[in-house]
Amino acid sequence: MADAGAPLRTKPRPISGSSLGEAELTTVRGVAWPAAAERSEAPLAQAVRRLRRSTTALVGVAIVGVLLVVAIFADVLAPQSPITSDQTHTFERPSRAYPLGTDQLGRDMLSRVIHGTRISLLVGVSSVLLALFIGVPLGMIAGFYGGRIDTLVMRVMDLVLAFPIYLLAILLMVMFTPTAGLIGTMKVTGAIAIVRIPIYARLVRGSVLSIKEKEYIEACRALGVRDPWILFRHVLPNCLAPIIVTTTLGIATSIIVEATLSFLGLGTQPPTPSWGWDLKANVAFIQANAWLSLFPGLAIFLTVLGFNLFGDGLRDALDPRLK
Amino acid sequence: MRVYVLRRVLQIVPTVLMITLVVFVMMRSIPGDPVVALLGDAYTEEDAVTVRAAYGLDRPVLVQYVIWLGKLVQGDWGASILSGRPVLQDVLIRLPVTLELIVLSMGVALAIAIPAAIIGALRQNTWADYTATTVAMIGVSIPEFFIGVLLLLIFSIGLGGLLPSSGWVYLPGTCPTMVCGVSLWGNVQHVLLPAIALGVGRAAILTRLLRASMLEVIRTEYVTTARAKGLGERPVVFKHALKNALIPTITVMGLQVGFLIGGAIVVETLFAMPGLGTFGIDAIIARDYQQVQGFALLTAVVFVVINLVVDLLYTFLDPRIRYA
Repeated sequence: MADAGAPLRTKPRPISGSSLGEAELTTVRGVAWPAAAERSEAPLAQAVRRLRRSTTALVGVAIVGVLLVVAIFADVLAPQSPITSDQTHTFERPSRAYPLGTDQLGRDMLSRVIHGTRISLLVGVSSVLLALFIGVPLGMIAGFYGGRIDTLVMRVMDLVLAFPIYLLAILLMVMFTPTAGLIGTMKVTGAIAIVRIPIYARLVRGSVLSIKEKEYIEACRALGVRDPWILFRHVLPNCLAPIIVTTTLGIATSIIVEATLSFLGLGTQPPTPSWGWDLKANVAFIQANAWLSLFPGLAIFLTVLGFNLFGDGLRDALDPRLK
Repeated sequence: MRVYVLRRVLQIVPTVLMITLVVFVMMRSIPGDPVVALLGDAYTEEDAVTVRAAYGLDRPVLVQYVIWLGKLVQGDWGASILSGRPVLQDVLIRLPVTLELIVLSMGVALAIAIPAAIIGALRQNTWADYTATTVAMIGVSIPEFFIGVLLLLIFSIGLGGLLPSSGWVYLPGTCPTMVCGVSLWGNVQHVLLPAIALGVGRAAILTRLLRASMLEVIRTEYVTTARAKGLGERPVVFKHALKNALIPTITVMGLQVGFLIGGAIVVETLFAMPGLGTFGIDAIIARDYQQVQGFALLTAVVFVVINLVVDLLYTFLDPRIRYA
């Protein structure tokens, strides 16, 4: 879609594509042919170097890093149990004992927010990875072999895409019946993954369609290389950049979808701490206890922001032509 | 062109059929059925069997679907199993609320995105641009319901109840029953916060996209030419640059409709609005098959038709795109 203006380009495009990463555009413009110096560098080293130059990407990495630490060490970091209620301390205002206050069951909000990181990150990352592991091979096979397989796979993907995504995710969750604990989390992960599979299948199919016409693939075929080897050693590495970017930004989207499902009461069920659920449960008491729904909401926002910044930086670093 | 439009319109039918069929099958594979809720405490296995037979729920799923379709083409959307109310009447009462919300939120999105993107692109790398991109980044990262909660905190609670936190007042002439609040000002008060909550996220996405394509377009030769022939900045920006930059944005707006429908469910739930979203989620949770089918059908039609309009708009905005 953005290709409409492609043939009109006259000068080499600057390194950063769009968005916030453009802060460094001025420095780039001063150098006549930045690409020339980079040409000899390995693609990975190049990407890392560009990533390190982008402040926003580094902020994203830092946020994601802190969240990972919080999720892993939640048991150590949380001052109290996130699920033990204490009827003598309900609706406590933020204080030294309860830095973020307590909810209607007297549960420590800080501990719930800290433990909520686990659910959010777990669902966000694993649903996207699950979608990736199913969607990428489907897209590769559809694009590489074409014909009937292609039609079949892409029709099914189109069907999933024809749904407004929240509607499908909601229906899937009602079908799976939301529950608490790890099983409940896995159900949410599955529902979000199903909704996201077509995104990867389409993306990869598109890349494969152009890559398979390249001379180096023809050379492989002429040498008698088997199809799976061609697909995984030669085709896949060449469409990796958009996959990585989509995955990082996809985690942000998945976290929002998870929070939304929880908000509607269809995510991981209580007592398992979940930001979306906590936000929803505390909206009922918003008049007198405004801070209660504020903290889970801020946690969702920060997490999503972290992955978005990181994803944006990655996109600029990995492939300047990507939008 | 005419052939293309006709073909696209005809494509709506199988898509809507597929969506409704999938929803139909999914709903019936959900554990528990409405008969259990209908009979309540008086539930006995024999009664359940009779009631299921009375509603035709004992027949194979595909047969049930064909029966539903057959009635649908005669204009019969069925009646709710739980309340007995006709589905068509219920959805039509709720549709205007959701449409108003979606259209206004799109308006909010465009009203923020177009100026922000133009300023960002024309004053690239100035503080105005940084502000626009930073705010857009924050906007993309906040879920609708949290924006809604923040708006509630500020306008309904903070500013002494300036705007209502829930409920609905109908536009004059749209009141579906004898008893409902009707006033233009009341309607504006009630729709404002939900529309902003739903629109801000879309505004952020559109700003990022539109700014990027504006940046690309203003570097093209025809914009240089337009400037060189002495055209003022205003026509250059609006007639030459913006119109071309809008093309990719329109596509994304079409894709956003899917999110808007989902977002409407969330925002309507938060603000307790009597729209299609709350109707749908209540029906799904209560497993009211007929209501869910009505909701899915209407959602699918709205979704597919808006996507079609977007596609057609695309050819109109960019005559270079020709469909055989």
